[in-house]
This record gives sequence, structure tokens and C-alpha cells, in this order.
Amino acid sequence: MTAALDYFLMSWLDPHLMFLTAAGTFAGIYIGAIPGLSVTMAVSILISFTFKWDMNSALAVISGIYLGGVYGGSRSAILLNIPGAPSAVATGMDGYPLAKRGEAGAAIGLTTVVSVFGGFIGILALAAAAPLVSELALKFAPRDYLLLAMWGILLVGSLSGDSLAKGIFAGAIGVLIGMVGLDPMTAEPRFTFGTVTLTAGISYIAAMIGFFGVAEVLVQLHELHIKAVRQDVSKILPSFGLIRKYLPLATRTSALGVVVGALPGAGGDIAALMAYDHAKRTVKNPSRPFGQGAYEGLVAPESANNAAVGGAYIPMLTLGIPGDAVTAVIIGAMYIHGLKPGPMLMIETPHLFWFQVGSLALANIFLLIFGLTGIRIFAKIVEAPKPILLPLILVLSAVGAYAINNNPADVYWMLGFGVFGYFLKMYGFQVGPVILGIILGPLMDRSFRQAMISAGEDPVQFAGEFLTSPLSAAILAALVLSMASQSSWWRKLRGKRDMHEPLARELEDSASAGNV
Amino acid sequence: MQTIRKSVATFAMLALAGGAMAQSYPEREISGVIQWSAGGATDVVSRAITPHVEEIIGKKIVMQNKPGGVGAIATNFVYQQSADGYTLLYGAENPQLHAVMGIANLDYSKFYPINILGRGKVVVIANNDKPWKSFRELLDDIEANPGKIKMGTAGPGSVPHTVSAMITAVAKLPVTAVPFDGDGPGLTALQGGHIDFMASSLGSAAEHIKAGRMRVLAVLSDTAMTDSALGNIPPITDALPGVAKYLPWGPFYGVFAKRDIPEEAKAKLSAAFRKAAQSPQFIELMNGRHNEIVNLSGEEADAFLKKWQSVTAWILQGAGLAKHSPAEFGIPKP
Repeated sequence: MTAALDYFLMSWLDPHLMFLTAAGTFAGIYIGAIPGLSVTMAVSILISFTFKWDMNSALAVISGIYLGGVYGGSRSAILLNIPGAPSAVATGMDGYPLAKRGEAGAAIGLTTVVSVFGGFIGILALAAAAPLVSELALKFAPRDYLLLAMWGILLVGSLSGDSLAKGIFAGAIGVLIGMVGLDPMTAEPRFTFGTVTLTAGISYIAAMIGFFGVAEVLVQLHELHIKAVRQDVSKILPSFGLIRKYLPLATRTSALGVVVGALPGAGGDIAALMAYDHAKRTVKNPSRPFGQGAYEGLVAPESANNAAVGGAYIPMLTLGIPGDAVTAVIIGAMYIHGLKPGPMLMIETPHLFWFQVGSLALANIFLLIFGLTGIRIFAKIVEAPKPILLPLILVLSAVGAYAINNNPADVYWMLGFGVFGYFLKMYGFQVGPVILGIILGPLMDRSFRQAMISAGEDPVQFAGEFLTSPLSAAILAALVLSMASQSSWWRKLRGKRDMHEPLARELEDSASAGNV
Repeated sequence: MQTIRKSVATFAMLALAGGAMAQSYPEREISGVIQWSAGGATDVVSRAITPHVEEIIGKKIVMQNKPGGVGAIATNFVYQQSADGYTLLYGAENPQLHAVMGIANLDYSKFYPINILGRGKVVVIANNDKPWKSFRELLDDIEANPGKIKMGTAGPGSVPHTVSAMITAVAKLPVTAVPFDGDGPGLTALQGGHIDFMASSLGSAAEHIKAGRMRVLAVLSDTAMTDSALGNIPPITDALPGVAKYLPWGPFYGVFAKRDIPEEAKAKLSAAFRKAAQSPQFIELMNGRHNEIVNLSGEEADAFLKKWQSVTAWILQGAGLAKHSPAEFGIPKP
């Protein structure tokens, strides 16, 4: 145990490792904040030039970049309505309205605190329950991924704004975009029109940069004459009372983040969206209605996506199975450094596990420090003159889109989707459901077919497996419950006494508008 | 205007000639394009050998991943670059099957094989809870319970897919084949009990086998394999002697450049990679991932590639899995 503690504290006591962790975290925040510069990319570039370093130094920097990068995505989402990473898509929903009210400072402050909280829950789960969680993750069969994706796709209801029909339309476009490329199972070209370029499919990050970044820039061109909102940066740190109020929600969404992050087929992006949806369904009296700057809309996704980092490390360190794209790159790096990531890693090199836990914890502390300093300057970005800010965002978006796969086609997609997204936005279509469709469409496609083939292509057997497997039955029950809890008969059953009058009316309106 | 144009042209010619005289290959950084995403098997092998090559040629090789289209994107990209020897393709076996699979028409015959770095071993593994002690027992169980046993597979031309085609060619294999995105996701599903057995590259499975999380039934070879950590693995030919005619077979990794790059670049690159493949660090990595080092270049590598393509394409054709007959592309029968 003392040996474990020694390794845990290694990066805390060695100034060199400490510096690397700090530098990684700092860089990560900015990499995450710039749309398109992704953590995966930063880590894979880093691997090339840490080839000659020892593994510990490389892991220390990566821990920082990873945690910082996941958090950093929220910055641009809040300030510019442009998520810096897919896991920050939900953050902009309520973060940007807050910035428009001049509360960017407070929004970033709260986001930082809950991100760090989520990060610690993830690290705690990694340290205390890694073998348990990884065994649970292995239990997820294709049909469970299908349920998860179905649960996720219901979020269209939360993300579609005024019109559910327009939301579903946007979601369907996303699913269509996600289908382009080689069929993952048969390599049958789909919607490729005989070109090699399209066999690679359409990168969902390129689509995200287009729909959110470029389209938002184009929309904001209409507002060039409007004076920027002055940001109140006098109070950044959320009060203790506020934090305590959101602690139960953040704990629930962090737990969700850990589990979804640990699943090899789902990551922080899906965790954050599910957490946002969870908040929207369960919080009865949000600080403001969701979509207009509810603090809960920041707390839920931001705690979940940082908790997912610890989650993603769980299958990687215990089984050598990557929890997401970043951990896949780390596994590759371990091989190059002469390690053998796999189930034996924890047995043969237990110090590596504790070192990793320790450097993640340290990075998380640095995240709190760097996250809370410099907000004043950051918040000023929103006050920067639009004629300077907007072209800058466009250039960064193009760089980011190219950098995903070093493929110029991604830049064309980004521009095309930007123009398309502009028209969608002008006609009252939300772009959130498009991204949801791109992420979840292929997951549903794959997991449905795997589940159906596993059931011998027998629909009765297929349906039966949802009930006979305890895990599937539990997820199905949760899914049904979360749907039912939104229906009008459920509310009649529960009575409206415990609800605020205006909120109840609002819910009723949305229910009568066909929003189940 | 005329004079300006003339003088510019003269200047350019002079500069080119001067450059050619003063410098020899490589005079600047080389770009390395990896067919698969960061962290994958091809990526690891590519990034492991490159620093040793850089040391020998004295210039950096800037690596970038261009994944997508089972390798077609990167292959096509490198093919479109000028044949100056400054763009290298780090790839795996996949493009050799793109034509018969209807994905793309480009294969390695349009490229010069600088080095076939290594070849992966393939094993058949089973879920721990299954009773089978040998591959024969598995085959008997499959025959007794047609359609009941779930086999993991991956996209057309992948290792699990090709191995199941080989088995189908010599025996009946009435299984439920559940496709995954590759070895990794398949092995994860195997550990969760969502599939019962699967063929996989040994590199992906070795650590899980060592930890006792899955059981290895056979190695795709005609001789048994003995390993200090994995023990004795019987050959697949014990149960299915008919497979022997397709062996040796396995996925491979290599470095390629366009066919018509300058002879000097071919010679220098081949020599550098040949030497780098012998560095102890690289050998250790390849051993650790249970890859055999092949280290072939030029004509020998061409012969290796042709044989691999002919064997694999015709196996797939024989199993009815190819979209186009190999004959359409002039791929000879093995």
C-alpha cells in the first residue's frame, strides 16, 4: 500500500513531472477550446516526440492534455456558441445564453468547479473500482449499446428548440450524414457515388465545426452592428451554497459519465449529451428554463464529460481495451515504449496504474487553478469586435478541420455544412440534433445489426433478449421510465402540486405540442 | 514581359540544376502517411521503426495518420503525390483486396515496396466459459449445433473474415457470424461472452490469453507454436489438414513509395529500412506483439505481395465472399 502511495505521489513530488503535468493541462485547455484541435490529435503528435522520453513523462503530459482538453471544449461553447470538442455540444445550450446575459465569467467559474468535481469522481472510480467497472463495461452487449443509442436519440426532444418536427428533421439529416462511407460490416460503399474520397465517410468533427463554428459565424454576421454585451467578471467563483445545491445532480451525472466513459463503444460526447438530458428531465426548478441559461445545463454535461476521462482509463489500464480514441492512442504509445498494455499490465507493473491515477489527480488540481485564473481575459473575447473575432474563428475552424485526418475533404465538408447550417439556423432548425444523429446513427446502425445477427435474425428471439438479460432489462426499464416520466398521464398521476406553476404550464404546453 | 518570363524560366532551371548537383536524396523532410488511425497495429509498427530510419538517413520523417476506407484514403493520397520519394505510405495488407472487394482499384502493384516489415500470427480463440479444449472439439460442436455458436468477425478481407473463408473452403462452418469493427472490439465482445470464438491476430489477443481471460485453440500454421508465456499452441492443420495449402498466411505491415520514384531514393530508403528493421528495439517491439520480422524489399517483396494477394483473393472468391472475381483484375490462381 505504501508502494502504491509512493507511485501515486510520484508526479506530485518530482518537479519535472509536476511541470509536465501542469504544462499539459494548460496546453490542453487551449487545445480543447479551439474547435477542431482535438485531444486525440494533440496526444498523437505528442507521442512522436516523446518517443525518446521515458513513459512516465509522456503519461504525465497526456493526463494533463486529456483532462484539460475535455474541459477546454466548454470555453468556446460558452463564449462563442462554438463547442471546442464534441463533448461540449450540450454545454453551449445554456452556456451561450449566459454569456449573452453578461454572465460568462460566472458560467466558466461554475463549469470549472463541476468539471474538476466530475474529474475527481472519475479518478476515484478508477482508483477504487476499476476492475468492477471494467467487468460491467464488458457486460454491455450490442443490444445494450442499441438501447443506449436509442436513449441518446430521444435527446432530439431536448435539443430541438421550438419545433420537435424540425428537430427530428435535423436529427435525420445527421443520421444520413453518418451513413456515408463504407458500411462498417460489409465494406459496401454507401452514398459514395463511386468516389474514393467518400469511402472515408464524413468526419463528425468536420461536421461539428461546420454546423456550429462556420454556421454560427455566418449567423453572427447579421449582428455586426450590435454592441457586444459587457461581461460581469467581478464574481467568478461560484458560492459554496450554489455548489452544494448542484452537488447531487453533479454526482449523478458524474456516475453516468464514468460508466459511459468506460464503455469501449461510447465516450464523453455521448455521456455529456445524456447528462444534459438527464438534468432537463429530472430538475424540476432550474435556475432558469433550460436553453435560456440554466446553471443545471452546465453542471450536468461538464461534470459528466470530465468524469468520462477517468472512466475511459478504466478498461485501458485494467484490460488494455481503449475506452475512447485518446486511450487508444495511449495504448499505442505504451507499446512503442516497450510496455504491454493488457490485463497483465496491472499485475506486472502495478506502479504504472498508481502513477497514472496520481498524475490524473494532479492534473485535475492544475485544471482547477488554470481554469479559474485567466477567466477575466477569456471573458473579454466575447467583447472583442466581431469584425476581428469572426474571421479568426473561420481560419481556426479550417485549420482544425484539416487537422482531424490531414484530409482537405474535411475542410470542404466543414464549409459546406457551415453554409447549410446557416440556412438551417435561419429557418429555425437547431443544429444540435444533426450532431446527435451523426454520432448516434452509426452506433445504432452497427449495434442493431450486431444484436439482430446475434439473435439469429429472429425478431422474437431479438425482442426476448431485452427482457431475459438483466442488464438489458435494467437499461430498458430506465429508458421506458425516463420516457414515461415526461408524458402527460404520468404528471396527472403524480399531481402538479410539487411543481412550480409556470413550469408546469410550460411542460403542459410542450406536451400538447406533441413533445412526449 | 517576354524577357521577364524568360529570365524567370532560366533562373528556375538553374536553381533546379544546381539543386540536383549539390544535393542528393534526401535533401529535405520526408512525409510518412499511415493508413490506419493513431494507436492501431499499423500505427505502432510504423512509428516504432521510423526513428531508427531517421537516424540512418539523417532527415526527419513527418508522420501523419490518414485513416478511412480500410486504407484506401491514404493509399490514394500517396498515389496522387509526385513520384519524388518524399511521400511514403505506411500500410497493411488491406489494399491488396480492395479491387476484389469493390472498394478501390489501387493496390500495391502501383507502389514500390521499400520494406515488408513484418507479418502477424493468427490464432483462433474461444471464450473462457466454453468447454472446447481443441479446435476439433469446436468444429464438432458447430456441426452438432448448426447456427447456435456465435463467431466474431470483422469487415471483408480482415483477418477473422479471411480465416473463416479458409475454414469454409475445407469444412462446413454453420455459425452465426457477428461482425465487429476489428480485432479489438471483437475480442472485447468475446470477453463479455457476446460471441463464442473468433480468429484474431495474435498481437491483439496475446495479453488477454496470458492473463487467462480467453483460451487459444489453434494457431494458423502447419506447425505448433511454443511460447514461454503462451505455452504450446497446436496448429490449425491438426483439425483441418486442408488449410495447409493456404499457409503461411497472416496480416502484414510495410512501407511503400510510388513505383517510379528515383532509383537513388529507392536504394537509400530500402537500405535504411532494412538496417532499421534489425535494430534491437524494433525487434523487441515486434516480438512483443508476436509479429514475425519479414524485412524484404524490392523484387522479393513484390513476390511476397503477389503471392499474398493471389492466395487471399482466391480464398475469398472460393468462399463466395468476393464482390468481383480476382480473374477480372488479372490476379492469378495460386
